[in-house]
Amino acid sequence: MSSSTTLTINMPQSTGRSSQAWRRNQNTVRHQLTAGLGPVSHTVLIAIMLCILGLIYLTQITKTSAYGYQINDLKNKQEKLADQKRDLEVESARLQALERVKNSDVAKAMTTPVETNYTN
Amino acid sequence: MNLSLTKHSRSHTLLWVMCAIGAVFIVRLFYLQVIQHDHYEAEALREHTTKFTLPAQRGEIFARDGASKITPLVLNEASYTVYADPRYVTDGAKTAEALRKIAGGNTVNGFEANLKNKDLQYTILARQISQKQADLLEAEKLPGVGMQAQDRRVYPEGGLAAQVLGYVNNDGQGQYGIEQALNGTLSGKPGLLKAVTDVRGIPLSVGNNVQEPAQDGKNLVLSIDRNIQSYIEQVLKDGLEKVKAKHGSVIVMDPKTGKVMAMANLPTFDPATYYKTEDYSAFQNAVVSNPYEAGSVVKTFTMGTGLNEGAVNKDSTYNNTGSVKIDDATIRNVLQNVNGTRTMTEVFEYSLNTGVVHVLEQLGDGNLNAKARERLYGYFTDHFLFGKKTGIEQSGESGGEIIAPDVAEGNNVRYANMTFGQGMDNTMIQLASAYSAMINGGTYYKPTVIDGYADDDGAVSKKNPEVVKTDVLRPEISRQLVDMMHDARTRSLKGVDRGGYFIGGKTGTSQTIDPKTGKYSDKNAIGSYLGFGGNSNSNPRYVIMVRVTDAQVSDTATAGGVAAAPIFTNISNWLLDYLQVRPL
Repeated sequence: MSSSTTLTINMPQSTGRSSQAWRRNQNTVRHQLTAGLGPVSHTVLIAIMLCILGLIYLTQITKTSAYGYQINDLKNKQEKLADQKRDLEVESARLQALERVKNSDVAKAMTTPVETNYTN
Repeated sequence: MNLSLTKHSRSHTLLWVMCAIGAVFIVRLFYLQVIQHDHYEAEALREHTTKFTLPAQRGEIFARDGASKITPLVLNEASYTVYADPRYVTDGAKTAEALRKIAGGNTVNGFEANLKNKDLQYTILARQISQKQADLLEAEKLPGVGMQAQDRRVYPEGGLAAQVLGYVNNDGQGQYGIEQALNGTLSGKPGLLKAVTDVRGIPLSVGNNVQEPAQDGKNLVLSIDRNIQSYIEQVLKDGLEKVKAKHGSVIVMDPKTGKVMAMANLPTFDPATYYKTEDYSAFQNAVVSNPYEAGSVVKTFTMGTGLNEGAVNKDSTYNNTGSVKIDDATIRNVLQNVNGTRTMTEVFEYSLNTGVVHVLEQLGDGNLNAKARERLYGYFTDHFLFGKKTGIEQSGESGGEIIAPDVAEGNNVRYANMTFGQGMDNTMIQLASAYSAMINGGTYYKPTVIDGYADDDGAVSKKNPEVVKTDVLRPEISRQLVDMMHDARTRSLKGVDRGGYFIGGKTGTSQTIDPKTGKYSDKNAIGSYLGFGGNSNSNPRYVIMVRVTDAQVSDTATAGGVAAAPIFTNISNWLLDYLQVRPL
């Protein structure tokens, strides 16, 4: 003779009609988790999370500081290049100075026109 | 929990004590971190924050180079001061050798000895070394040696227009010329950076950094044309040499705008090495700062007054007797062989003092009286603006001096003398500006050396001419006066001007007061010439005024014609081509 056992574990009865209505001879098993985190574990976890957050904050701050150095370096480069540009402008102006132009071979080879005429 | 500890009275006490201590800490921390938060944050920021001044770059100065181009007269260049803290210098000999090799003539006297003096914490080793020298020195990596950067003014055109420019002293302040007059415009406004820094003072991008950017000074474009400036400086130098003079000035002005095209004085100086100048008067722009009795060039203004008031006209005549007695003084002409009936144009041609005294008398309805003096004074001060500063952008401008007719010194004799430029002081800029107004149809433009402002890309925003006064003379009177001056010049200086052009002007020779006797002396005279050029009586293109202060000529009465007029003629003939004035 065969027999079947139906085990019911704290199954809440569905109220009303449900598509998952318990049927006759249906084997149903549900394990209830009874284990949980204790207060110490919670504290440790929170501490770890705070540490991680702190580390992230410090990393960001360090990164930002590093940007400060980069900015400073770039500013120094910019200033140096600006100084070089000004030096070149001065050199260019000196090369085009009137006294230099007057004393150039090209200018010395020029002659003064006897007369100036204008065409309409 | 069933600990026996909790039941023990001493342990219990200890627990409460610990709790109390903890509570004290918590309260204290709460007080420091919450209640006193702002205070300590500010303290911390003050500790970590450094204020940096962001220097503003001084504005550069450009000159015109022909009609459309500009060219730099004053630029900025980075230069460095090399210093050392001898306590940290490890190898003095190597440092000194590197400095001698790289900084050369820029080293400070005795720097080697200072390098060895370990009691010093700061000593300057070299000044004003260039960027290239600084790079070479930096590559040497000399311990204990540092460099401080600063800007210095450089002058690509050398001493060109030195007195118009002035210079900038070691404190960064403009001295003389436009550098002083427009120091505020040129120097700009320094900026500020408040930033959290590391131990080396490098700004970090954390915290609330505050940055106010520096406002650089404005770049000025002068109305000075470098080619005209260079030419007049050379002609003035040559002209002074011919008459063995040492002091002279020239101004060239556009009569239709009041813009100064060139302005030169001798002796002059080099603004790059201004500290080597021994004669400080060389710093001054005598055209604006040195008033003098201009002599017969003022006859033009007296005649303009007479014509505009209807006291005389172009064809009026008078009987020239060679001299005229005014109260207890006798005024004589230089030329004594032109007596007889003379026209107003001949008053210019022969420079007749009696002629302009006659004009003054006509202003008083035939007599030299208070009315005549009042009318002349009114024109001189209200129409020609004598006795007042013109406001040109130059330091040390003088307003000159003109005596009012209602004071004891403003008597008939003085006013008779004033008709031909004695007894009152004018600067050349006053005379050239008023003269421009007389010949341009009657509009007095404020004289200026500023043509506009340049941005960093070289684009120029032009400054409009500023009208100070209209109706200085009526337009038809202005043209009459131009005709008379042209006729007078053409007759008295035949063949010196280019054909087809309309050139006019008037000489001026003024005696100077001998400091020993306090009286006018015949030994020295100031020669002047004030004239214009163009291609018609309604189109003057330039006004030129020349002054030669100490010409060594045989007859001092002719200093204006002998010393100053040739300089005018030379410049005038050259300008006609340079400005491409077409003959009519």
